[in-house]
Amino acid sequence: MRKIWVVVQREFVEKVRNKWFIISTVLGPLLMASFVVLPILMAEGGGAQRRIVVVDLGTVDLASRLVGVLRAPLPVTATLLRVELADLADVADSLTALVGGKEVDGYLIVSEEAVEDGAVEYRGSNVSSMADMQVLERVLRETVVTERLGRAGVDAEVVQRARIPLRMRTLSIRGGKVTEGSGESAFILAYAVWLVLYMAILLYGVQVMGAVVEEKTSRVIELLISSLRPFQLLAGKVIGVGAVGLFQLAIWGVCAWLLFQQRELVLRVVGIDAGPAGGFAFPAVPLETIAIVLTYFLLGYFLYAAMFAAVGAMSNSDAEARQAQTPVIMLLVIPTVLMLGILQQPDGAMAVSLSLIPFCSPIAMPVRWAAATVPIEELALSIGLLVVALLLVVWVAARIYRVGILMYGKRPNPKELWRWIRTT
Amino acid sequence: MQNQMVIEARGITKRFAGHTAVRALSLQVPTGSVYGLLGPNGAGKTTTIRMLMNIIVPDEGSIRLFGLEDSGRDLSHRIGYLPEERGLYRKMRVLDLVIFLAQAKGVPRRTAKGEGLEWLTRLGLGDWIRKPVSDLSKGMQQKVQFISTILHRPELLILDEPFSGFDPVNTQLMKDIVLELGRRGTTVLFSTHIMEQAEKLCDSVCIIARGEKVLDGRLSDIKRQHGGLHVILAVEQGVESVHALLSDRSLVAKADNYGSYAEVELVAGSDPQRLLEALMRAGARVRRFELAEPTLNKIFIDIVGADAAAPRAQEARAHA
Repeated sequence: MRKIWVVVQREFVEKVRNKWFIISTVLGPLLMASFVVLPILMAEGGGAQRRIVVVDLGTVDLASRLVGVLRAPLPVTATLLRVELADLADVADSLTALVGGKEVDGYLIVSEEAVEDGAVEYRGSNVSSMADMQVLERVLRETVVTERLGRAGVDAEVVQRARIPLRMRTLSIRGGKVTEGSGESAFILAYAVWLVLYMAILLYGVQVMGAVVEEKTSRVIELLISSLRPFQLLAGKVIGVGAVGLFQLAIWGVCAWLLFQQRELVLRVVGIDAGPAGGFAFPAVPLETIAIVLTYFLLGYFLYAAMFAAVGAMSNSDAEARQAQTPVIMLLVIPTVLMLGILQQPDGAMAVSLSLIPFCSPIAMPVRWAAATVPIEELALSIGLLVVALLLVVWVAARIYRVGILMYGKRPNPKELWRWIRTT
Repeated sequence: MQNQMVIEARGITKRFAGHTAVRALSLQVPTGSVYGLLGPNGAGKTTTIRMLMNIIVPDEGSIRLFGLEDSGRDLSHRIGYLPEERGLYRKMRVLDLVIFLAQAKGVPRRTAKGEGLEWLTRLGLGDWIRKPVSDLSKGMQQKVQFISTILHRPELLILDEPFSGFDPVNTQLMKDIVLELGRRGTTVLFSTHIMEQAEKLCDSVCIIARGEKVLDGRLSDIKRQHGGLHVILAVEQGVESVHALLSDRSLVAKADNYGSYAEVELVAGSDPQRLLEALMRAGARVRRFELAEPTLNKIFIDIVGADAAAPRAQEARAHA
């Protein structure tokens, strides 16, 4: 035990002293600060002034009404252009040329058909901008609906009242209690949980592999192996790097919290005067979620670190290790690829099975937990399976490690690997 | 105490895929001796040493260190081990590394620091203790490795090819320290493929080739057994009579005759005194009659043949 502690200490001190640790620790909060500041900057100056031409193909007054609505609160300059149907082709050509020359962003062709059966056409350079198109479509829909109602003789005031928008507030229920968190913030939280877990497990797992390869290529291992058992070395290394990981995550966590607390100050520093709720809403993180994330981080990290260590022990160089790590990374990528599915249906069959399969559960389960309510039996089963898999993987990895660290030359094929695992 | 064995290996065998690296090897290293494990490259020296250290486990046979059943790794605080392929953490600071390697052997941090500083200063690395290892020259790194081998004052030193890759100055320095430790009662076992080195340092040796023991014992005994049959001879008069004598195959097995000078190998079991008597009787005037001690290298080649003495074609590094 004392010897493991010696290895842990060395690993921790050396890693924390490393310049990459210092750089990434500092860069993390800067990145977070930019997450706070950038959305506001984009929202403020963001949606640049759009210039569009409304081509009126003989509507009664839909087109002029539309221009009026578009002009009012939106960052859009709309110009009305009356065109006879016969001239449309020529006008469209010259307007297309204007869009090409960036004189205008696009043009909207409106005819009586819009009122009759809702057919409207927009051609422009910004059609791929979801935000622009959403605004345009909403304005169009409302204007057309107003126009239709007006023609049907509905009183303008009634129309006005009918148009009062609906706002649905979503609150998630967790453990039989309504929480403050909204559906959106649950999504953001789940997303953040995924990002942190994926990055942390991958980053620190790969570091374990690097450390193993370094000891092998530098031949330090030959000196160490006479005084330390392979298991002591492996355990010390994995725990040491894990401690570095937790340390860094803790620094980042505190920074994120401080940034959130002081977000007005941060915004003022970069010259934005936003209200207290400025920027995106920082989701409230319940204590259980933090505990679950930490538990799965530790279990998942140990699982993957053991595999990465085995990969490192099989390899003779960094380059070789990077090649050999692919299958391990694939395992980690599976829940990531299916992440959207988990988020959309946190109780769906896929989400449930992924959160039970040991190699996926370290990421899938916390994400599910953050997004929806997970029955406690499922959580227990998931952790139980993960722990069993962890013990098995560590046992196999330790055996590969034990033989691998003293082997130089060709990388083992599966048959040789099997022999390594079996040898006593 | 003197008769007790520090290392007792009985019939240890290690097989790797495709070949047997060590076969039924028995070793006995007496306390306080300087013991040489000799053999050409690929003979199984490193495998043997790794089995002694319990880094790999023999397929057959047993090993006892200090008369105990504990494995070499559990006794690592009593053993100083210098592997053949040795490296250091390149980014670590010199003193930190020395302390870490000592702590790994169970030395308390405070002691490790004190002793480490002492040794580093003694070997001229006092100005480098806060520098990263990668700043050191190769010779300096070798000193650091050597310090980590002896810092914890081991009772037994196991050195695998300790002098390979060392520059002459460091080789001398290490030999002096090894011999000094030997005089103070530390048992030293080292492997080498250079017989001349072993001849100067060892009092006992074990020679292995192709994984098997060729011979072992005290160096003086070995020389006595295998020596004494080589005579260097120089005469002033009666060259012709000597000629006749050297052709006598009942006494002389082989002779390189240069006229007035000859190197003679006697028939096994014969007494060199008989040759001298015969020479006198034949009226030769003997200027030089010397019982030559055969070199270890000569003994080795005589026993296993030049073929086996040569390194194996395929150096079994991957399995060593």
